[in-house]
Amino acid sequence: MKQAFSLVTLCVLAAAFWTGCDSQPGSPPKPAAGKPVARGTIGFSALTLKNPFFKIIADSLTAEARKQGFEVVVSDAERDVNEQSKHVDNFIAQKVSAIVLNPADRVAIGAAVKKANAAGIPVFTCDLECVAEGAKIAGHVGTDNFQGGRLAGQAMIEALGAAGGKVLVLHFKQANSCVMRVQGFREVLDSHNKGRADGRVEVAAELEGGGLQDAGFRAAADALQAHKDLAGIFAINDPSALGAWTALKQANKTDQVKLVGFDGQIEGKQAIKEGKIFADPIQFPEQMGVVIVQHIGKYLNGDAFPTNMLIPTQLYRRADAEKDPALK
Amino acid sequence: MKSSWHNRLLTEHGSLLVLLLLCIYYSVVTWSEQHPITPRSGRQLARAIATAPGAHVLIAIRPTAQDRIFASALREELVARGASVIEPVLEGAPTDVRATLEELGRAGQRVDAIATHQPISEWGPLQPDSLAALAAQFPSLKDMRVHRPASHHWPNFLTRENLLNVINQNADIAIIAIGMTLVIIAGGIDLSVGSLLALSSVSAAVVIHHWAGGAQASVVGLVGCGLLAILIGAAGGAFSGVMVTRFGVPAFVVTLGVMMVARGGALIVAVQHQRALSGGATEGTPEAVKVAAPAFGALGNGAMLGIPNPVWLMAALYVLAHVVMTRTTLGRRIYAVGGNPEAARLSGVPVRAVLVGVFALCGALAGLAGLVDASRFEGGRPNAGELYELQVIAAVVVGGTSLAGGQGRIFGTLVGALIIAVIQNGLNMAGVKSYEQKVVFGLIILAAVLLDRWKKHRGAGAA
Repeated sequence: MKQAFSLVTLCVLAAAFWTGCDSQPGSPPKPAAGKPVARGTIGFSALTLKNPFFKIIADSLTAEARKQGFEVVVSDAERDVNEQSKHVDNFIAQKVSAIVLNPADRVAIGAAVKKANAAGIPVFTCDLECVAEGAKIAGHVGTDNFQGGRLAGQAMIEALGAAGGKVLVLHFKQANSCVMRVQGFREVLDSHNKGRADGRVEVAAELEGGGLQDAGFRAAADALQAHKDLAGIFAINDPSALGAWTALKQANKTDQVKLVGFDGQIEGKQAIKEGKIFADPIQFPEQMGVVIVQHIGKYLNGDAFPTNMLIPTQLYRRADAEKDPALK
Repeated sequence: MKSSWHNRLLTEHGSLLVLLLLCIYYSVVTWSEQHPITPRSGRQLARAIATAPGAHVLIAIRPTAQDRIFASALREELVARGASVIEPVLEGAPTDVRATLEELGRAGQRVDAIATHQPISEWGPLQPDSLAALAAQFPSLKDMRVHRPASHHWPNFLTRENLLNVINQNADIAIIAIGMTLVIIAGGIDLSVGSLLALSSVSAAVVIHHWAGGAQASVVGLVGCGLLAILIGAAGGAFSGVMVTRFGVPAFVVTLGVMMVARGGALIVAVQHQRALSGGATEGTPEAVKVAAPAFGALGNGAMLGIPNPVWLMAALYVLAHVVMTRTTLGRRIYAVGGNPEAARLSGVPVRAVLVGVFALCGALAGLAGLVDASRFEGGRPNAGELYELQVIAAVVVGGTSLAGGQGRIFGTLVGALIIAVIQNGLNMAGVKSYEQKVVFGLIILAAVLLDRWKKHRGAGAA
């Protein structure tokens, strides 16, 4: 009986499916002159919402967009450019007004961006850039990562003081933003070391920390074995810095090794307050989300806006953390 | 008799039923307003505007192929109905719309109507406040009104574009799933497919870049590199097959090893390539290996008769695999090897050769999927195909192939792959986060396995 019922349902549904395909409700055309506010949808494919940094971008973007009359669809690409390309396909099928991406791969996302270009949908990038040839980006908002890397280098020199020492870099090379940070960091160290015999700050190793707490922990633990006299670690973001701190604690070297992070996420700031991390060049993800929506609004309005906007970082030390009302 | 037919439909085609129900469910959930941009909607719009002959109409579109087709139908119909179309057609971004309107106003050109479509009608320059400001500033624009085609309601899920998306996005998984179905029917399993995909896509990209002429690579060269990608996958699969048959190592463990070796290999090749590009100055990053040859994108991003090439490829392979499995000795042998290897051996089936062949074929299809991936993303990605093995196995299991071996159907796997694809797409369209999607996937796989057990149980009861 049950089976028979399923069968009937199946047939009815199949019939509905096919007839449905043909009927195009042809309502008489009504000129819709100047409909009020609905400004369409913004599709946002985040790099990974597991990292609070991108969650803040997503939240601030959503809040600002709602305020301006947009709807928002947020998708989590989980660092997979294949997944992100599917999101872009879906956004195109949903006919969104604008697409915002944190490209999961600065080159491979190009094909998806070109599809959006061909569909006439503007693509904005946020934090991470797209460098694929022929892919048109309507606007970018990001952090000045090179400047941030320089600040991190200055913080490291300050932390190690007159003695100087060997430094480990916990990298995430896949992200161009991190490549810029390490470039800035190395540049400051190089100019510090120039013509100096002692108190030099040298990069002893550059390891892949994946920008993740567990990968950062493993890489730092290995480096502590290889370089017994390590004096500092620069981690390209807060999760990998916190992973490194766990490794320092296990090796009982929290006094010997100074940590410099990047981002200024709430856990990072908390760790700075507790003295685990010496300092962070902090980024302003909450500004990014707001600015990108403002730029989308201006684009759709036909107004001018800066197509490549880099927000500078600020160095955040323990003294700043003690005054920070956001921390307990 | 009749009731057993019903039973067969439910047990044999239960997955098809699930697929249909899913499609219907998502059609209902994504029911929403549609704004057509087609020649037909363009002509309809023209008929609505051109009620007063001699009206001055400005057509505004975006610089896309679809919009141009819409605009040319619209203009043709407007001219035929005696409207005066302002030349040229306004084509561009919102800022161009604003600039053009101001220009027309300054030139004193009368504009009675702007004919456009829904996306542009929501741009700032065409909003009531902007129009009022223009009317106040330029007398020739004071009667200007915005017209757009009528909308209708239809599920977002059930549009041609979206359905093709669903299949196209998952064509690579569906292609590998053919190989996996054969491996599982033959009593094995292959965890290395995702990594083999990455290794062959990166290798093909590197060979194209360094030896086939890079951006100037000829089609023959590209095809050669494509064959190389498939060969690399086949070699990886054949290696697993040999390890399983010669040394009796469980397929699970062998392919787990190959999975790690191939992934590492793909990353090494990519990093070495980047290093070579920079002249050995830097250590290199595991970025995608770019393929600049324009013809290379045809496989992954091209289309024939409006249907994307990966979909054609997938369909052809499924038909071929179906014929092999149902009409040929090879097909019967694969079932025999998985059903009872000892009996198969005694009846003269070359069990080892069949197993090695099946693993090689699975690897070759992974290599082919790698080629599709590289073509789609215009470069070989060392991180491509991560966790594909699990998605592929899920598609096979949901499609009704028994993990115990000896049973399964090729088209069942296609349905399984589509179920997973539809769930993912539908949840994306409905705005469900990927975390919930994982839960749904897991539950579907569990349900498929339970259905398999239930079928076996019933089969045993009937006999």
